[in-house]
Amino acid sequence: MNPMFGQDGQRVLALITGIADLTADEVDRVTDAWKQVCPSDRATAWARLVRTTTEQERYQILAAASLARREALATAHRLRRADWAFWAAVSDAAAAVAAGARIGRHYDTLTAPLAAVMPPLAAFPGRAPASVAGFTADDPRAPAVFSEGA
Amino acid sequence: MKSWLTDLPETFPDAMVIVDSQGRIVEANAQAASLFGFDKRKMSGLLIQALFPGQLLALPSGRSAQQDQADPYRELVGSRSDSSRFPAIVAIMPVKIKQVTAVIISIRDLTETQRTRFVLRRGVEILMSESQDRQALLGHLIRAREEERLRIAADIHDDAIQLMSAANLRLQQLRLRLPDQAARPILDKLQEALTLASSHLRQLIFDLRPSGLEDGNLGAALRVYLEQMHADTGIAYRLDERLNARVPDRTALLIYRNVLEALANVRNHARASTVAVELLVIEDGCLVRIVDDGVGYDPADVEDRPGHLGLVLIRERAELAGGWCRIESSPGTGTTVEFWVPFGKSSTKPDAGHERAG
Repeated sequence: MNPMFGQDGQRVLALITGIADLTADEVDRVTDAWKQVCPSDRATAWARLVRTTTEQERYQILAAASLARREALATAHRLRRADWAFWAAVSDAAAAVAAGARIGRHYDTLTAPLAAVMPPLAAFPGRAPASVAGFTADDPRAPAVFSEGA
Repeated sequence: MKSWLTDLPETFPDAMVIVDSQGRIVEANAQAASLFGFDKRKMSGLLIQALFPGQLLALPSGRSAQQDQADPYRELVGSRSDSSRFPAIVAIMPVKIKQVTAVIISIRDLTETQRTRFVLRRGVEILMSESQDRQALLGHLIRAREEERLRIAADIHDDAIQLMSAANLRLQQLRLRLPDQAARPILDKLQEALTLASSHLRQLIFDLRPSGLEDGNLGAALRVYLEQMHADTGIAYRLDERLNARVPDRTALLIYRNVLEALANVRNHARASTVAVELLVIEDGCLVRIVDDGVGYDPADVEDRPGHLGLVLIRERAELAGGWCRIESSPGTGTTVEFWVPFGKSSTKPDAGHERAG
């Protein structure tokens, strides 16, 4: 079976489960950081993301982004934050993690705002050991449903 | 050893056994006896391998702290007294107190977890499959709608407008032959109504098949629409068109439809005073951004409710063309619709060579 969120599904899931742990201050930092990114760079990164993936891969990436966005929305509500830049930042980061190394330097554009409060996001497979939100890729304590390969 | 270990296992919620340095069970709690189907007293003295036959437990020796601190978790298959098997996650922890070395092993039955995992996985597969079916159906709907628009536009042009033009000519002939001057105001009104109806039909044709697009002038076609919207609603607009490349007709039509869909939401729901439309070329495609200063909405409230076909269509059109779309809003901050569509035809294969162009 194909993993739900692509080959890096476990990293995506680790990211998503980490969102609920963010504090209001961290949400504000992510929101501010997202607004600092040049909109054209972000748009280019997304364009590259959809250009370098198959339809099936795109589907998985968009599913990851969508679920992460929902989690971010719930977290923002709980913390009484209402700036959509926050959930957009989380959605961008989840999409980039699901896409992985194939988007090259654009990975940083999409993950940088959230990486400001989740430093392990700055690494992607091929550049550094896979580790997101405290979980390594083969950590058995990480949620297992999404850890099974194709 | 028993002096300090006897009561310890019973305090744990999971099945737990304590083994000595030879791998023999010295203590087991009631949960372990129940899980493996043994009499609790008969577990003492059993080799731990008997519970996990044929599998390497790699019990820590207690000699090397570094080695013993390796990952304590293993996924193994447990064997009950009746030889039935079950999946288990096993945590192995060495303890050393007063020169006595022992290993605490906690065992959790994963049968239910795996069953849940399977059900969840199946559920996800079904959802993905249904979602893909829905997307295919929506794609078909979008294409069918476009074809139908073109057909209706052609019918209006070839049929209704020709008939009205003919009727107008007949009225002019009738005016010349009519002896009664008093009837002329009625004819004037009739002719006025026909001219107005023809004008409305021509506007309808434009909406259905914007002629500006066929000339490759997307910006001009959008300006016509925005100007009309301003006249109708008073909503001010700013159109920033930075298209330094000719947009293919098919892409231009998609963009035009999406912008109109977004603007329809601005007209009907946003209570905005200004809307900004921006078009620019990025990555051999067109980035479009429509931003209003209206009341916005709470996505958590709105997105779970049905009846937002317009927004769904914007997203689907962009994604079907191989692009992406973002629609975001918060209460009081207006709404931003942003999408990008490639100039080329969408592909199911990744664009491996695009890095050279980018």
